[in-house]
Amino acid sequence: MTQVKRVAGWILGFVGFAAALLLTWRVFTQSLDLFDGLFNDPSKASTIDLFTEALYIGIAAMGLNILTGYNGQVSIGHGAFFGVGAYASAILMFDHGWAYLPTLPIAGLICLVVGILVGIPALRVKGLYLALVTLGLAVVFPDLTKRFVDGTGGTNLISLKTEQISPPYWYDWFPDFIADPLTDYVGSRDQWAFWLTVAVAVATIVTVWFISRSRFGRALIAVRDHESAAVTVGVNNARVKVSAFAISAFFAGLAGSLSVLVSRLANAGKVETFQLSILLLVAVVVGGTATVWGPMLGAFVVVFAQDYIDEQDTLTDLLDPPRAKLMSPALFGIALIILMYVLPDGIVGGARRGLRSLSRRRAAPIDA
Amino acid sequence: MRNLGANRLRPLVLVFVLALVFAACGDGRNDDEESSGDDDDTEQTTDDTVDDGEEPAEGSDLIDATDCPGDPTTGVADGTIKLGTSLPQSGLYASFAEILRGSQAYFSYVNEELGGVTVNGEQYQIELVAEDDAYDAEQTVGNVTGLVNDDQVFGLFNVVGTKNNLAVREFVNENCAPSLFAATGAPAWGNHEYPWVLGTFLVPYPLEMQALVDYLNETTPDASIAILAANDDFGAAYVETLESLVEGTGLTIAATETYDTATGEVASQITTLAATDADVFLLGATLTACPTVLNELAGSGWDPIVYMSGTCTSKTLMGLAGQNGDGVISVAPLLDPADPANASNEAMTLYNEKVAQYQPEAAADNGIVAYGWSAAAMLVYTLENSPELTRESVMETARSLTDVSDVGLMLPGATWSVGADDWFLGEQFNLVQYSAADGFFSAVGDLKVYDDQTEEVTPESLVNG
Repeated sequence: MTQVKRVAGWILGFVGFAAALLLTWRVFTQSLDLFDGLFNDPSKASTIDLFTEALYIGIAAMGLNILTGYNGQVSIGHGAFFGVGAYASAILMFDHGWAYLPTLPIAGLICLVVGILVGIPALRVKGLYLALVTLGLAVVFPDLTKRFVDGTGGTNLISLKTEQISPPYWYDWFPDFIADPLTDYVGSRDQWAFWLTVAVAVATIVTVWFISRSRFGRALIAVRDHESAAVTVGVNNARVKVSAFAISAFFAGLAGSLSVLVSRLANAGKVETFQLSILLLVAVVVGGTATVWGPMLGAFVVVFAQDYIDEQDTLTDLLDPPRAKLMSPALFGIALIILMYVLPDGIVGGARRGLRSLSRRRAAPIDA
Repeated sequence: MRNLGANRLRPLVLVFVLALVFAACGDGRNDDEESSGDDDDTEQTTDDTVDDGEEPAEGSDLIDATDCPGDPTTGVADGTIKLGTSLPQSGLYASFAEILRGSQAYFSYVNEELGGVTVNGEQYQIELVAEDDAYDAEQTVGNVTGLVNDDQVFGLFNVVGTKNNLAVREFVNENCAPSLFAATGAPAWGNHEYPWVLGTFLVPYPLEMQALVDYLNETTPDASIAILAANDDFGAAYVETLESLVEGTGLTIAATETYDTATGEVASQITTLAATDADVFLLGATLTACPTVLNELAGSGWDPIVYMSGTCTSKTLMGLAGQNGDGVISVAPLLDPADPANASNEAMTLYNEKVAQYQPEAAADNGIVAYGWSAAAMLVYTLENSPELTRESVMETARSLTDVSDVGLMLPGATWSVGADDWFLGEQFNLVQYSAADGFFSAVGDLKVYDDQTEEVTPESLVNG
């Protein structure tokens, strides 16, 4: 009986692994295809936007990773911080005539403050309860915007003009590869958004790398793994937890602010805010919790896998032609389930495990 | 120890992913991605050039296209005109995809049986690229920028949703891509800063209130009105207009309550409103909230005259209310395909026949399919009346539509016009009452005519906000 179970487990594992490998490979080659000639082909303007989207989702996910991965506090409410960042930039530009760039740090700082405000009461709750409290944040946020944001056409939507999201004049000074106005219908708006997001992403990666190797980073992990032990060695539990909240909110705010450059708007719907929150969490776990690169990789996988599956008419047609569109989110979900089954510790975690077992060969498994 | 975070999170994430999967599998039926404009195109019949009815004034400056980027004939090539649309085809609002079926049935009919749409003596096949936005404004932006920049469509047709259209109107304006018949009755389409967007022929929400006030003044001039409205711009269009219209009449507003469109919880509001025992109940709600409210109302022991938003009159929604929908009053700009009295109508016969032929999966007796059919007919009418097939010319024609009659499933005898200052089409319509036993709406009184009145009825902040 156990034998049968083992064999079944092997088969299931093998099929799942093959499927996950196939999906990752498809996403990888698809992004290579897309990247090929990206900046010389005018019809690829929306593809550049796709890369930008993956990057800013990655930035928010890396921030969330500080809180959830390193510090062990689960948040299902980061879509709200993301939204606060987007609204901060949009309102400053739309109502107060600001240029985009100065709104970026302001959006981050506003979210940092909101993060502290949310982080303090969050000290009282843990685990599933904290998850529910942050879920409340995602649910309440759209209502707050409905009440307090006087947006376009009486809605809570703020729609921006192209000139408001266009690059500043000095962007032309960059070499053509970065700022080639001929490759875009609307000036070099999409390239500007892309390279700015790349710059912020690099800064984020460097910051997270430093945090993960710093005294503060070790404190985060210590609090996650054993709170009372951490306190006995002198870690200020409350300060560490609130800081984690604030930092993660800061990055979510930056990401939200950057998203305005692509989506041209700030908006908050109940479904969308909740879905974004989940997407960020999924990116963290798919990429690998408590790893520096994981969430960014995870963001690319979820954004591109979603896009890839959306485009797969043949795949969805096979299942049920008239319901092709309805099936693609479901397929995306199934792909994620398979991925989680095969790589429970995410892409980076799985890769590390693979490398370790290769180098260790068949030596006795002693885990540190 | 290293994987601790992941292990703890795994069940949680799995639960969420499953939740997303189930949410995605929600009800609603679907479309075919791309439509009609298939192979057998271009029988260039140049002989019937006399087809044009009225023409817009020559050299009129309705539309200023001097700063427009791109080719004015973008999307027109090889005897085909390519248009784009974005509407929900998945998610909670997937039932809106039925509109697309109605439109595609009409385009297939024009392409395959009439040889295409005739503009300035040339025939063109119509190709409609349909994108799904799940009713999310951000996705609409992505879809529309893609349609205009990458797919190089001529213009947009029937983009669904108020927020969704608001989100793209800047972009549409800057790119001079005509966006025709934006599928919402919001007053925002009267904003003169955005000449490239034209709203549809749904009765503008504020005009519904004028019709209600006129009806009450005739029947119960001293009635008190209790209002339940959505807590967003949609609900505000009803509430604010009614508040300004009852001034100086014998009508009074007893109480106003709002409900949250996300949760759809209405029970406590109904209890509060029932306590006022008002004579009239105004329901400024849409979609599933409508039957929910009607069902709650039935159990409250309060028996007012009920007026319900024209957006709720679909067969599906009324079906959910069942017996509780009996006697509800609303408005209808088109013939109701569910009403057997209309079956002998020539336009209705064509509609039933062609929908059955080209979109056999669509329920032809559903008003939302009839809406899609009629919107497509309006588009074809607009194109055929354009002096030439350029973006500017088509938009000018749309902006100056005059005395349009018998297009699609328009009411017999009704005419629609877009005024110079009043940019709303659906200003002639029927006041209708639902009969639960029959399962359809029938007209109350004669055709209601409110030409060029939407602009003056509507509080200014709703138009230009």
